[in-house]
Amino acid sequence: MLEIKNLHVELEDEDKQILKGVNLTVESGKVHAIMGPNGSGKSTLSYVLSGKDGYEVTDGSAELEGTDILDMEPEERAAAGLFLAFQYPVEIPGVGNMTFLRTAVNAQRKARGEEELSAAEFLKVVREKAKSLKIDADMLKRPVNVGFSGGEKKRNEILQMAMLEPKMCILDETDSGLDVDAMKLVADGVNALRDAGRSFLVITHYQRLLDHIKPDVVHIMADGKIVKTGGPELALEVENNGYTDILAEVA
Amino acid sequence: MSAKLKNKGVVPSITVPEGGKWVTTARQTAADLLSETGLPHRRDEYWKYTDPSTLTAPEATPAAIFESDEALPFADVDAVKIVFVDGVYDAAQSDALELAGVEIETLADAAQKDIHWAGSVYGVLEGRGQNPVSRPLASYNTAMAEQGFVIRATGKAAKPVSFIYLHESETSDAVIHHTIKLDEGADLTVLENGPAAARINAVMEVEVADKAAFHHVRAQGRDHERRTATHIFTRLGTESSFKSFTLTVNGVLTRNDAIIEFTGDDAHATVAGACAGDGAFHHDDTVFVTHDAVNCESRQVFKKVLRNGAVGVFQGKILVKPDAQKTDGYQISQGLLLDEDSTFQAKPELEIYADDVACSHGSTVGAIDETALFYLTSRGIPHKEAQDMLTLAFLGEAIDEVEDETLADDLRALLEGWMARRHG
Amino acid sequence: MAALDDVQVKEGVDQETVEAVQSVGGKYKYGFETDIEMEYAPKGLNEDIVRLISEKNNEPEWMLEWRLTAYRRWLQMEEPEWAMVDYPKIDFQDQYYYARPKSMIEKPKSLDEVDPKLLETYKKLGIPLKEQALLAGVEAPEGDRRVAVDAVFDSVSVGTTFKDELAKAGVIFCSISEAIQDHPELVRKYLGTVVPQSDNYYATLNSAVFSDGSFVYIPEGTKCPMELSTYFRINAENTGQFERTLIVAEKGSYVSYLEGCTAPQRDIAQLHAAVVELVALDDAEIKYSTVQNWFPGDEEGKGGIYNFVTKRADCRGDRSKVMWTQVETGSAVTWKYPSCILRGDDSQGEFYSIAIANNMQQADTGTKMIHLGKNTKSRIVSKGISAGKAQNTYRGLVSMHPKAQNARNYTQCDSLLIGDKCGAHTVPYIEVKNNSARVEHEATTSKVDDDQLFYCRQRGMDEEEAVALVVNGFCKDVLQALPMEFAMEAQALVAISLEGSVG
Repeated sequence: MLEIKNLHVELEDEDKQILKGVNLTVESGKVHAIMGPNGSGKSTLSYVLSGKDGYEVTDGSAELEGTDILDMEPEERAAAGLFLAFQYPVEIPGVGNMTFLRTAVNAQRKARGEEELSAAEFLKVVREKAKSLKIDADMLKRPVNVGFSGGEKKRNEILQMAMLEPKMCILDETDSGLDVDAMKLVADGVNALRDAGRSFLVITHYQRLLDHIKPDVVHIMADGKIVKTGGPELALEVENNGYTDILAEVA
Repeated sequence: MSAKLKNKGVVPSITVPEGGKWVTTARQTAADLLSETGLPHRRDEYWKYTDPSTLTAPEATPAAIFESDEALPFADVDAVKIVFVDGVYDAAQSDALELAGVEIETLADAAQKDIHWAGSVYGVLEGRGQNPVSRPLASYNTAMAEQGFVIRATGKAAKPVSFIYLHESETSDAVIHHTIKLDEGADLTVLENGPAAARINAVMEVEVADKAAFHHVRAQGRDHERRTATHIFTRLGTESSFKSFTLTVNGVLTRNDAIIEFTGDDAHATVAGACAGDGAFHHDDTVFVTHDAVNCESRQVFKKVLRNGAVGVFQGKILVKPDAQKTDGYQISQGLLLDEDSTFQAKPELEIYADDVACSHGSTVGAIDETALFYLTSRGIPHKEAQDMLTLAFLGEAIDEVEDETLADDLRALLEGWMARRHG
Repeated sequence: MAALDDVQVKEGVDQETVEAVQSVGGKYKYGFETDIEMEYAPKGLNEDIVRLISEKNNEPEWMLEWRLTAYRRWLQMEEPEWAMVDYPKIDFQDQYYYARPKSMIEKPKSLDEVDPKLLETYKKLGIPLKEQALLAGVEAPEGDRRVAVDAVFDSVSVGTTFKDELAKAGVIFCSISEAIQDHPELVRKYLGTVVPQSDNYYATLNSAVFSDGSFVYIPEGTKCPMELSTYFRINAENTGQFERTLIVAEKGSYVSYLEGCTAPQRDIAQLHAAVVELVALDDAEIKYSTVQNWFPGDEEGKGGIYNFVTKRADCRGDRSKVMWTQVETGSAVTWKYPSCILRGDDSQGEFYSIAIANNMQQADTGTKMIHLGKNTKSRIVSKGISAGKAQNTYRGLVSMHPKAQNARNYTQCDSLLIGDKCGAHTVPYIEVKNNSARVEHEATTSKVDDDQLFYCRQRGMDEEEAVALVVNGFCKDVLQALPMEFAMEAQALVAISLEGSVG
């Protein structure tokens, strides 16, 4: 599904290398988790994969189903099936959540040469999916993320994911700012989307989200590289011993 | 642009004073410009709300001397005190012109020389400030001023320079021009207080080099009948800072212009003022900030309390030039009208040619907050006192812009004292 | 504000945004020209031309005198220069002041007799002149929503729909030229009482040479049974359009009026100098909405309409209310300040504006709220968007006179910049002369938010779509104030006007 080879990334504005050769392969239908201390480059990886401005790829490649995505525009990557659940979803005043969702869904359908959804069809699907995420009609009517609580914003991200049905989902610190109940709700939403044709890359600082979204593979990232890869037990090791031991071990 | 003086007012015939080469050049340039623009007129865009006729008249309107036994503002501040009487420097009443890290010289002495560093500032910053809006009163000042100081700070000044302007003659007409230059990394505070004369035309040019910091705190004199026109022109270098605050209570006419130009990146400027006017009081703050560098921040904070027919005017402009990205421009002007007869007029302008900016302005006018007033009186505070408390709180937000806590406290105390006296 | 409370409209608009944005493709789509035989008055302006215009309209003597007085005043006036707009000097002698399709010389008695070419033009513009219809392409939100249309083609009114049905309700809706003949007492009573003949340079010119426009009279206690709309089309070359609109709402009446405008795509700039006067008596309410889409000129700034318009409402009666809503996307140069004189006690004025300037466009627009009466209220919401090399200025005045006890104003004035070659300017004047009045003014200027754009693009929208969506969000408060048909047209226009502004 996703294959990242030797990815080197610098900040465009300053001469600072953030990713120093990331290698990662996420197979179809699998859930991979990336853990690591602050500043290890986890979020940068998610931004570079989704095409945010301000980063320069100096070496390496990233392919989605065999197609190089690094030269694509963000919307082309989205249409190709890449989805990023943002750590800090942005507020867009004045733009209704529904309008936003429908524009996005139809833009992607159009880009893929599919029929656009009619207003009625769209409404039906949204209502269904929103219900399972406990997103009420009021939240759908309000402007995108404006005045949403932390939990509401994250649920909204998952709703968008459910609507857009991407192949490759990147969850960037989706657990940050969530209490236990909200985390469970979000995790349930994600688990409902787990499917043989869909892969996940779950970026998190803590193990607790992985209690709810069980990963197949866990990677530890430090200083712009993946330093250790293992099974779910690796996450528990982090939980119990912190990063220091692991980092010392690989150093 | 329409801001140029369209209606050429009276062109005074003037002969510039004699002096050395540098000053004569500057004076003549200003005189030539003045003969082009003429004196300001009510029909000029930036004199729409203030009638300049008594400022441009050949003679000053006589003004009674305000008698008071109060201590002067900043009396307790350890500073180099320089005293002017009716606009004329009085060496006898002044401290010695000595301050480590600072050169202080009278304009008269500097003007004797043919070459002087002041030639790079005097009339130069003022000249830059003449476009796109003409400022003929400043041209007049540059052409004619013989009083004033040239001050150069080469390092961090140990204490402030404090100008004290005494008013003793009812018909005095003063023209004062200060020229100040802060070298790289220098730090200087200038204090000013007093009415100066029946009429004063004052200009201060301040060149702030890279990483230098200039602080200016001014309390304009309390003589009811004085007429004042001031201009501050400043140019800011990289990572420099400029902060100016003015407190005005009384005065039949005050017009304070501040013209600020950012030419170096990452600099900061604040220009703020608080005024309280009662009766025959017309107070006009006109500010023009030009951002011509990257990542600079400007703040304008003006508060006016008006009663018994007093008039407050605020005209403030933020101009962001095409490449002045990352500009943060902020401006607030507020009028508090304590009765039905008072007037507040504002023209807060933004003119922006760069896109990566965050500029905002706000302006509010209204009466005192009745809910707050009721709350205070319901707790047993007499009505007048409650009103004063709220008025002080309102003005206090502008005084908060004064960085030096001692000076800010001084200003608050002054204001409080004056308020209390009003009720006798 | 009724419109803001009407959630139905808001939701409807919301969901349709995208469709509307997508359905209207291409650049300026009204740039075609109708090939039709025209009758022109000789080029240039003098007293004879003024007489000729008056004669062509079969006007009574008093009207001619009125025009001549204005003309003589105009000769003594100077073109204003204070606005932040820059355009080549207009040669007022190199213009036609009167042009009408030859087929209109004998006025058609009904729409069936109108030249099919003219009808075709309006059909192409999406303006229904058949009485069955609504504005084209828009479904009716409820059963029988209808709009009466007065279509003005160059100097003359082509026809007015639903006249008979409106007449039953006592509403007069006709061209101003007809009104001068058929209702002289009303025209004489109100014309020039809101915008005096010598108000300003362009208004004075208009007073001398206006050829047509709309007249609306709503009798006491009447709620106009349908929305009224005038559609202005400039077709002829080198021809100035000088329309005059007069709307009088008697005590306790209500009317919603829509105005649309387009012009062909030409290399040479054309002049448009209109005057609109609104009179609202006690308890009357007028909603006046404009979608101004005159040809803006091309990317290099060639051609386009110079739009110098004086619009003013006199809230003469107590508790009267006027709401101006404008979406200004067209014209090469716009100079326009729809204003309210709040004379009646408890009267209200509202101004909602979206002004978009792209490429080489220049817009200097805003409002004046003059508070004279007690407890008068005004609200100003202005959204300016600059892109390309355009300059966009908000200019406004809020004036609280000494007798305007307890008057209130709230102003929100936001500017959005797209790209680093354009400019956004704000020039508000605030004059408060009584302490029971309260004025609050806020203004912000910022660039379109990169994070918002990235968020939209990550979800699959292309850059232009993302910009259109974010900008429509920025304009929301104003779009909501528009009647529904216009709201959708306006949203689509926002997207089209910004084409080519990114990337």
